[in-house]
Amino acid sequence: MARLFKTLFLALVVGLAYAGPQDNSLTIGASQEPVLLGDQLNIVGTQAISTEVELWMFDGLYVQNLDAELEPALVTEVATVENGRLVITDIGDGEARVEMHLTLRDDIRWSDGEPITTADVAFTYEMSQSPNVPLASPDFYERLTVEVEDELNFRIILEPAQSSDLVGNPLDVLPEHVMREAWDDALRRVGELDAETEAPRITEIYQAVMSEFGSSAAINEGRFVYSGAFVPVRWTPGSALQMRRNPHYYNHPENQENYVQTVEYRFITDTNALLFSIVSGAVDTISSVSITFDQALSPQVTARAADRYDIWFVPSATWEHLEVNQHARVQQVTDMQLNDVRTRRAILHAIDRQAMVDALFDGLQPVSHSNVSPFDAIYNPDVRQYDYDPELALELLAELGWSAGADGILQRTTADGRTVRFELEFVTTAGNAVRERQQQFIAEDLRQVGIDVRINNAPSSVVFSPDFIDRGYDGAWTGMFMFAWVSSQASVLNAALYICDNIPTPANNYSGQNLAGWCSEEYDALRDQAVREFDLETAIPIYQEMQRIFGEELPALPLLNRSNPLVTAQGLVNFVASTFNNGYGYPPARPELVGWAQNGAEAVFDQADYAIAFE
Amino acid sequence: MTTYIIRRLGQMLPLLFFASVAIFTLVALQPGDPLDELRMTNPLMTAEQFQQLRRAYGLDQPIYVRYFKWLGRAVGGDLGRSRTYGLPAAQFIFEQRLPRTLVLTVTSLTIALLIAIPVGIFSAVRQYSAGDYTITFLSFVGLSTPNFFLGIILLYLFVIYIPETFGIRGFPVGGVPNVMLADVESGRITWGGFIGEWVRHLVLPVFTLATGAIASWTRFMRASMLEVLSQDYVRTARSKGLNERKVLYKHALRNGLIPIVTLVGLSMPALFNGALITETIFSYPGMGRAIFDSLIHKDFNVAMAALVFIAILVVFFNLIADIMYAVVDPRIRYD
Repeated sequence: MARLFKTLFLALVVGLAYAGPQDNSLTIGASQEPVLLGDQLNIVGTQAISTEVELWMFDGLYVQNLDAELEPALVTEVATVENGRLVITDIGDGEARVEMHLTLRDDIRWSDGEPITTADVAFTYEMSQSPNVPLASPDFYERLTVEVEDELNFRIILEPAQSSDLVGNPLDVLPEHVMREAWDDALRRVGELDAETEAPRITEIYQAVMSEFGSSAAINEGRFVYSGAFVPVRWTPGSALQMRRNPHYYNHPENQENYVQTVEYRFITDTNALLFSIVSGAVDTISSVSITFDQALSPQVTARAADRYDIWFVPSATWEHLEVNQHARVQQVTDMQLNDVRTRRAILHAIDRQAMVDALFDGLQPVSHSNVSPFDAIYNPDVRQYDYDPELALELLAELGWSAGADGILQRTTADGRTVRFELEFVTTAGNAVRERQQQFIAEDLRQVGIDVRINNAPSSVVFSPDFIDRGYDGAWTGMFMFAWVSSQASVLNAALYICDNIPTPANNYSGQNLAGWCSEEYDALRDQAVREFDLETAIPIYQEMQRIFGEELPALPLLNRSNPLVTAQGLVNFVASTFNNGYGYPPARPELVGWAQNGAEAVFDQADYAIAFE
Repeated sequence: MTTYIIRRLGQMLPLLFFASVAIFTLVALQPGDPLDELRMTNPLMTAEQFQQLRRAYGLDQPIYVRYFKWLGRAVGGDLGRSRTYGLPAAQFIFEQRLPRTLVLTVTSLTIALLIAIPVGIFSAVRQYSAGDYTITFLSFVGLSTPNFFLGIILLYLFVIYIPETFGIRGFPVGGVPNVMLADVESGRITWGGFIGEWVRHLVLPVFTLATGAIASWTRFMRASMLEVLSQDYVRTARSKGLNERKVLYKHALRNGLIPIVTLVGLSMPALFNGALITETIFSYPGMGRAIFDSLIHKDFNVAMAALVFIAILVVFFNLIADIMYAVVDPRIRYD
């Protein structure tokens, strides 16, 4: 008994040793916990934290580096036209077929020592083509075919292909030798069910297979195998996930003992508590799913930063903007002339976006001028910019017939003789404090020029429901709608946001994301040309022309590009993120190279090249 | 009595049926669709593909069809899978969340009772003394301090301020410890270490949760004791010449505890609900968070499993409370 109390006392007062440089480990704080790990086809769901954690455990065929370029991972080289591995064929109707001839490395193994071969590639493809399997991105897998040549060589075929298909990792690889039996059994059970009436049951069968290998229990029992630099060894749900170096990994650095040997994700769901754990040193760094931008700037964090940790703001492709309803059949739209570009220009001139980002974000989230991130290769730096100029805004509005009424709010007489006030509905996600502050700022600026703003916020589940967001056509929202698009480089290249076909209307069953209803034949033609141009250098001028049109016509009003905070303990090297590495900027770019400088790890990447430091 | 219990049990079934219908309908009528987020992040998904996904999750069917399908499976013991957690809902609720919530809530309830009852008695016996005034003052402070405020203050004090100022190790910021029972069996950690880790993680949330209960139950205990102490039979006991201890503990306390027993009985279902605010502040993965998150993410199977389970508990503990009345008070009879 005395011994029990002694250990209890020691545990309370001394506790376990701190992680970090002392034992060559890394502790990462995250505000979300993965549902399961290894769901590479997203059969159970898409979850940012799972994707991030899986980057430590799985290598794709390719990896997207910090400069958003593709590097080979499990394959010997990236398919390009120059090396003859990429064949693009015209299949008529302006459509193309893309064939990638790829060769797996001959030294790659699963974490149990079994070689990774084309049988695994073919198996993963087979999984994606299983009847009624619920994939999160069915559009991609519907166009995909995989043909195996021998144990190492295979072809990935996309038909019809788009230029965005060449960005990012084309396919993940799952272990056939571990999953085959369970998957075949699932297929057999699915085969016994009626796909029309039993679809949810089928979904559950497939999801159960993924849980069988990816749940915490599976990981603790060592049921699964991995292709990446680290393997999970222990997952206490609600608490932490621990990983150690994969002994069979092909790409560990020389002197790998100088680099971190174990990595622990600690799940602290409340971001205030997470902030405390940064400040108290309980975590060495944070996940991309963690504290908010303004928490990283809070005095509790910044005041204690010196000599302990660095605070970075990594520009993200998350684009905060205002949709402005332009559906001419909505009364308020024609009354406020929102479908006239001069109105949209006037509104943008009336908002002091620079003052807003300075006041709310210390200027660390840059004002945006188009829907493309300045860090994207296709960005057009010469796009038209709308500086804060309330005088010019008033002039533009006067041109459209607006003049100040007795209460200072603009009014005009419509063609049918009605007098209308400039009263604009303004929708955003209720409960998102940062957005609500931006909204107050914008509303105040608009009132200065005589535009009355009627705020109509609701929780994100309401405003993002198809009955609301997709129904601008029916006037479900009639004025401005502020939210963010999170884009990967592939979706930027796909440029589907503002094309006419993507306007949700009854004709297309309200599908598509061109919510405001802007439509330009010229823009559509350029987009058609761009997505069929597989040589990026040739495509860039086309994309830049599209951005020029965006700047002139303002299909939406750009506000700012968000940045992701990253706090790293001093001495931690190569735990670096950029806007587009690994698709969405998940740290680190190369897990196998993460280490502590004090333990001899060599810095290969410098975060300063990809982010703004908090001074 | 037996007839009464059988009748009550019989009444429970339709009651639970209507409760489950109400819960299912309310969850289903919330705006938004669990797949909206997916659609918002994937501009390439066509309307047909989206419809196919809705069918895959059974969201294309009318509410009543979905309800009866759920009911049919639930009666057979299959509560379905959690969409958010990828686990069977029953496993998620009853294996992962419920035990943790019970650790938190039962510990705070026990501590609250152990403190509130003696302090309440003391306060009543020494009415209007300096001690009584201090206890009353502290009770009101406890009653009027919201959990979210107390939790944050405790976190700041014990995780940052005190460790920084005195150079000692603070408490963890929350969550549950990274130790499992299997670790004790495998010898990775000793029992002492295991319990120690849990204690370290529980101190702050238990304190936060217990404070309000201690404050209010102290007031109840004090009031109840004061009422009993002014009864004729207590005066009679005293006039018989019984010593004060006997009067207090034999005569007064037993009667004074009756309202507290009722109060504790009625708070039993709340033990299983978890404590949403405390769990949130301390990132504690319990039932409160599970229910809240399942409603927000429209994770039907989890929401239904958890809420119907709680409905059953409420109905059941109400029945127990009614039976206990009859046991405690011979004047009450059920026929």
